[in-house]
Amino acid sequence: MDENTLSVIKLKNILLVTVPDEPGDDIIHELQTKVLNAIEKYQSKGLILDISNVNILDSFFARTISETTQMVALMGGQTVIAGMQPCVAITATELGLHLGKAISTLDVDRALDIFSDNFKLV
Amino acid sequence: MTNESGENPIQTEGDIVTCRKLIRNVTSAAGFGMTDVTRIVTAVSELARNVYVHSGSEGVMRWQILDKPGQIGIQLEFEDFGVGIPDINQAVEAGFTTAGSMGMGLSGVKRLMDSMTIKSDVDMGTTVSITKWGRAK
Repeated sequence: MDENTLSVIKLKNILLVTVPDEPGDDIIHELQTKVLNAIEKYQSKGLILDISNVNILDSFFARTISETTQMVALMGGQTVIAGMQPCVAITATELGLHLGKAISTLDVDRALDIFSDNFKLV
Repeated sequence: MTNESGENPIQTEGDIVTCRKLIRNVTSAAGFGMTDVTRIVTAVSELARNVYVHSGSEGVMRWQILDKPGQIGIQLEFEDFGVGIPDINQAVEAGFTTAGSMGMGLSGVKRLMDSMTIKSDVDMGTTVSITKWGRAK
């Protein structure tokens, strides 16, 4: 995978989107439209945003995640944020960031468990 | 590690990432721990974006590694030549924003750092200085 692109993979009824480690503003802008278009195209009911590679989450990125979660919800889908690194969780909390209505899990496996157990989507 | 310093222009959106990468390398090499590196790089991202969004095209980031016995530190300065901040106290309040963001920028950066000072003249520009100390390895 190119180190600086978003990867979007359809898994049954959900989308797995992996964010690169140092996402620039262009990637973050792209995230929203790419995700929403893919949800429409594949008729996905859920989104896993894998941020396990991400080593910086600032207010701009957090706002985009929060807004995207809301937009996905308007399209009838649930978002799960997977794999936030400890140092990113510490910094995001100290900075005062919040991710809106997204559910968080430790990793992608647990996100898949949520979709299979709670939403019967996988 | 003494007397290390440098600067980087903030003129394009891409410069925000360049500044982040530069300071990630500088602070890691200086011996800051992983969490402090993340705090500092996140502060850089917030302040570099402020400079880019509010000042047009002539911003700059300056950095300097500091040291005193048993400690490592970094001081960073973000200067723009934009419209300036009329009310600095208001700008540092959580939730204040003129740019449609979460408004966590300056108040959040202050919490991530050990100190933050802002100098601003309306129509002349703004300089935000931040300092972070860590234990030397």
